[in-house]
Amino acid sequence: MNPLISITLLMTLILSTMIVMISSHWLFAWIGLEMNMMAIIPIMMKKPSPRATEASTKYFLTQATASTLLMLAVILNLMHSGQWTIMKLFDPTASALMTMALAIKLGLSPFHFWVPEVTQGIPLTTGLILLTWQKIAPISILYQISPSINLHLMITMSFLSILIGGWGGLNQTQLRKIMAYSSIAHMGWMTSILLYNSTLTLLNLLIYIIMTFTMFMLLIQNTTTTTLLLSQTWNTTPVMTTFTMLTLLSMGGLPPLTGFMPKWMIIQELTKNDTLILPTLMAVTALLNLYFYMRLAYSTALTLFPSTNNMKMKWQFHPTKQMTLLPTAIVLSTMLLPLTPTYYILL
Amino acid sequence: MALVHKLLNGTYILRKCPKPGVASCPFLSTRFADYCSSSLEKPVAAPGKAPSQRKTEGNLEGHHQREVALDITSPEDKPEVSFDKAIKEEIKDHFRRLKDDIVNHWIGPEGRPLHEVLMEQAKVVWQFRGKEDLDKWIVTSDKTIGGRSEVFLKMGRNNQSALLYGTLSSEAPQDGESGRSGYCAMISKIPTGPFERKRFYDWSQFNTLYLRVRGDGRPWMVNIREDTDIIQRKDQMYSYFMFTRGGPYWQEVKIPFSKFFFSNRGRIRDAQYKLLLDKISSIGFTLADKVDGPFFLEIDFIGVFTDPAHTEEFAYENSPELNPRLFK
Repeated sequence: MNPLISITLLMTLILSTMIVMISSHWLFAWIGLEMNMMAIIPIMMKKPSPRATEASTKYFLTQATASTLLMLAVILNLMHSGQWTIMKLFDPTASALMTMALAIKLGLSPFHFWVPEVTQGIPLTTGLILLTWQKIAPISILYQISPSINLHLMITMSFLSILIGGWGGLNQTQLRKIMAYSSIAHMGWMTSILLYNSTLTLLNLLIYIIMTFTMFMLLIQNTTTTTLLLSQTWNTTPVMTTFTMLTLLSMGGLPPLTGFMPKWMIIQELTKNDTLILPTLMAVTALLNLYFYMRLAYSTALTLFPSTNNMKMKWQFHPTKQMTLLPTAIVLSTMLLPLTPTYYILL
Repeated sequence: MALVHKLLNGTYILRKCPKPGVASCPFLSTRFADYCSSSLEKPVAAPGKAPSQRKTEGNLEGHHQREVALDITSPEDKPEVSFDKAIKEEIKDHFRRLKDDIVNHWIGPEGRPLHEVLMEQAKVVWQFRGKEDLDKWIVTSDKTIGGRSEVFLKMGRNNQSALLYGTLSSEAPQDGESGRSGYCAMISKIPTGPFERKRFYDWSQFNTLYLRVRGDGRPWMVNIREDTDIIQRKDQMYSYFMFTRGGPYWQEVKIPFSKFFFSNRGRIRDAQYKLLLDKISSIGFTLADKVDGPFFLEIDFIGVFTDPAHTEEFAYENSPELNPRLFK
């Protein structure tokens, strides 16, 4: 792609999310979301192929539908409140519609069907942007309207997302689909605590972005898109296998890694609010996620899968790919648990 | 639509002497071959030809008597048709498949443990050992557009292979708009899950297609289609050629997936894309070599395997002159 166009698209992407985050007028926020969608579509089509076309089309259709529903909710709110300021919504119908629209944008169940298909059809770098940066704008709107969201609707969607994120990722061999289901499950955790303590949603989002970024960087490093290719990385870069394993276990929420922090905080907060069954069920269904992360870690780091050459390690050439922020990301995604009080207070 | 099709086919379960196409011909798309699963031959359905099909049925019956058929029952037996029972059987079958699907999802990809799927280096996808294997294929020819080619699919000797045979005729149909004709094809049915949900094959850990065939020297075209979610992609396919050698010896054809070229609506496109193996929908064999006359192709099995010596990712290049859009 022409570098000038590439830069314009990336800047538009960043600008659009900033617009959504800082705006106080509903129309402006909607414009930001539309710009966001329009900017990422050409990025998805960087290498045109039938699969990329399909992924872009699916993304466009779902996001456009979500934007339409959002606009409808905004107009209903305008009818009832007479103003465009972004604050809690005054009409339960508008609130339900807006929650569903943002659920479609985020890929929350039962509107999650587009996430694995779109993530599978696009290159790894674009998949990283889709699963990290694209979540910020909808979560910022959810954060702002959180006092008026229907509790039952939100809890149902979040629990279903955790369940489906765990169940759907179980027998996948394509890594991008695994990351997509992981994203669905993490969105479930984030939205479950939104109505009780929305600060924890932001904390979970931050930690999720760091971990997903690390995972994608590790995958981009070796250009691995299937479990089989990942299981053969011991032959090329053995050190990466250790980091892959640690990052996967962190994503699964195992202490003493960073990923345990949001889960611990969320379960604690839910328990404080006298909802005991929900965090129990959430913790149990998170085990499904942990199961497939463990399987990946097992095939990558804990066992040596047969490879086509007879060597202990392939000849190490000078790496041509840039390891953008990889060491920093690995440290952040595995060693931040002792700093829990800091983050809890900061956010 | 798919359920109506299954329903009508479901009435066959209870019939002792199934008759091809009597119930289904007026309803179904006539592009698909109509067949009697207990007969030895699979004739092609022609558009709007129900009465003549009964005549050909009579011919088929005669044909059966020439070739020894061990499972054709006496024509005096009246077929039992029970609509309700067929529906109930069908629904039970779908729920059973749903239950199997859920259990298989727990076990691993395709119902097998993950390590078994990852370590697999060769897999037989289709093999022809009985009539139920023939049911997974559809044969079609230019009869659907008014041409004169004929194609049949039957089990070979000792039920060890499938024989695709017929006559190719490149005589154009007299409809005033077709200038060319003459093709025969055998296409695999799209795999379906419970409630006729479309499934796909995941061949991402393999890199070569392996066919054990015995032909008559004709060049065939192997076409692979990917899973379609959006309408346009029904027209897209990836093809390569398979040259058969004739002769009494079996031929093992290995075609790497990197060699398949992309075509849309029957035309090879300038912009070429790699065949992505994670969502394969169907495979097909087409004969359209403009040579009139009889043909046959005997297929033992079709499999996929990993050839470690083959490291090519894609055999074709895109050039900036032909498709500048890809190089912007």
